Amino acid sequence: MLGALVVVPLVAAPFAQLQPPGTEIFVPAYAASAFLVETLTAALLFAIFSIDRSRSLLALAAGYLFSGLLVIPWALTFPGVFSALGSDANLQVTSVIAAMRRLGFPLFVLAYALIRDREPSYYRNRKSIGSFIAGQIIVVAAATTGLASIALLLAEYLPVFMLDERDVAPLWHYVPAAAVALYLAGLASIWLRRRSVLDLWLMVVLGTLLIEILLISYLGRATRLSVGWWMGRLLGLVSASVVLLVLLSETMVLQTRLARSIRSERLARESRLTAMEALSASIAHEINQPLGSMVTNASAGLRWLDNDVPRVDEARSALRRVVRDGHRARDVIDGIRNLFRKDSRERAPIDLNRIIGSVMRRSEEETRFGRISLEADLEGPLPVIVNAVQMEQVVSNLVANSVDAVSSVTDRPRVVRVASRRQDGDVVVMVEDTGPGIAPDIRHRIFDPFFSTKPEGMGMGLMFSRSIIENHGGRLWMSDNRPHGAIFHLTLPYHAPSDTTDTEPDR
Amino acid sequence: MVFVVDDDFYTREAIEDLLRSVGHEVRSYGSVDDFLRDHPVDLPACLVLDVRLPDISGLEFQRLQGSLGIRLPIVFMTGHGDIPMSVAAMKAGAIEFLTKPFRDQDLLDAVHAGIAIDRRRRADEAALAAVRERYASLTPREQETMALVVSGLMNKQIAAALGLSEMTVKVHRAQVMRKMNVTSLPELVRISDSLNIPTEKA
Repeated sequence: MLGALVVVPLVAAPFAQLQPPGTEIFVPAYAASAFLVETLTAALLFAIFSIDRSRSLLALAAGYLFSGLLVIPWALTFPGVFSALGSDANLQVTSVIAAMRRLGFPLFVLAYALIRDREPSYYRNRKSIGSFIAGQIIVVAAATTGLASIALLLAEYLPVFMLDERDVAPLWHYVPAAAVALYLAGLASIWLRRRSVLDLWLMVVLGTLLIEILLISYLGRATRLSVGWWMGRLLGLVSASVVLLVLLSETMVLQTRLARSIRSERLARESRLTAMEALSASIAHEINQPLGSMVTNASAGLRWLDNDVPRVDEARSALRRVVRDGHRARDVIDGIRNLFRKDSRERAPIDLNRIIGSVMRRSEEETRFGRISLEADLEGPLPVIVNAVQMEQVVSNLVANSVDAVSSVTDRPRVVRVASRRQDGDVVVMVEDTGPGIAPDIRHRIFDPFFSTKPEGMGMGLMFSRSIIENHGGRLWMSDNRPHGAIFHLTLPYHAPSDTTDTEPDR
Repeated sequence: MVFVVDDDFYTREAIEDLLRSVGHEVRSYGSVDDFLRDHPVDLPACLVLDVRLPDISGLEFQRLQGSLGIRLPIVFMTGHGDIPMSVAAMKAGAIEFLTKPFRDQDLLDAVHAGIAIDRRRRADEAALAAVRERYASLTPREQETMALVVSGLMNKQIAAALGLSEMTVKVHRAQVMRKMNVTSLPELVRISDSLNIPTEKA
């Protein structure tokens, strides 16, 4: 394309001033194509505007419409073309209209390049974008008709651009010079703003228009229907068509993208629904578990008392387990509520080791029965500013995962080790286990919602843990433990006790 | 003896205590693997098994246990049982399929039934083993004679078939009745049925 822009003028140069006879009949054909290409381009630009609502695009669309509509009076008044129809107007009218086109279009392009797009909501608030565009089209059409009528009606007062039907008057030479200046200004301003493919192609258009006007006005000595004149016009037409094609393909891309986003939105909604079902099933299960053992423990207690010799000690320990199960059920519900609560933002300074300690104490019973050794290697104090409830959930989730992981181990010690220390400006916690580890092919999914390796896992723990840690400005990730198992690492910003006051309020 | 396999520590503990409260001896495990490592116990027993377990699920274990030489009656428990699952389990010979939280009496009834079945099975097996032992104590001639006797042949016919005198056959026959610890012909026939001895048709 760019090559052609350079080559065509060079090839055309020697013949530029030749005037092959009888080429008037091509003028209507040229005018029709120019009209079609430019109005179609305008239509497409309006269509894009209706989607992305950019004011600058609106200016460009108006410019194309303006230029396309002015082709009609230009062709109708062209000397010798439609004389049979009796539309021969004043000699100056055609050139005046040509001047309007030449100078008008680059003004619109300049407007396109210089208008800063307002908030999209400005147009979104309007009731109907369709009627808004229709209004714009009517305004542009009225303006072009008005300009053409003025040229026709006030022909006597028009500046003298033409000496005869083919040759221009000295005054005309100001027009291409002004046009060249405007094109250069347009090129420069688009070069500066260059944002889209459209901008790139607009530069090509302005470039061809520039070459067109150079061909027509200088190489062709502005002589109508000379080889240079025709060359320039055809070149302009070709480049305008290319822009039209580019716009068409851009619109198609836009349409497919739109269709795709609608489809993915629908998919997302569906998967949200199944996610809700899965979530409610998981919650039901999580609550059912302590409920079940509560009922069983209570029944056992009754039976101990119903024995011939009532076993009060056994009944008491059964009742104690009922109480514990009740608390467990409440913990589950609290946990779920906390996970979904929006304002879980109350944070307070606390020593992270205290949270770790209380989690480990609570896990002791289970690990003791599972012959799991639970080791702590805590260096402290580790002052952090966190939501203690959430942080406890994270730590207990990580510990519970590790305990589950080592439970299946039979050929080596079952060890869960929690280590904490201060590292640079961070507090680092590591939960290590000697379990089977996490296979590389599922490693990237363990933080996904509803992904679980456990038969009855909710698949929410790690996802929530990570989002909680990230909300606290920390990170959560995993690595391999040597020779077996996994290590989950957690970092949180270290808060020296003195700077607690200024960080607290904004959280 | 009752074995409880459930991956939830608290559920395990509760069930174990419930069963102990009515006098059962209980052992509980977190996984099928743990159970298998500990299992061989020579007592009438019953297995209370969670459907969903890490590694090997309860239903899988039910399918596998024959090949492992285990024939324990199984009582299944599940958090959320669906009908196809319970039908499959029952068809494969489960005693009961309980949905948590279940009534304690349901579990106890199922466990009692399971243990009764296991006891009967063990008694049957013991009896059969005794019969086999007795049968093995017969001489080859006596075994031949027994096969023909239970086929319904007269002493004379047996003597002809084996090329012995009728008197000898009578002696063999008396020995068979004594060694097999039976007093009547129908009794001998029933025992030989349980032994699956090939009988010869006259």
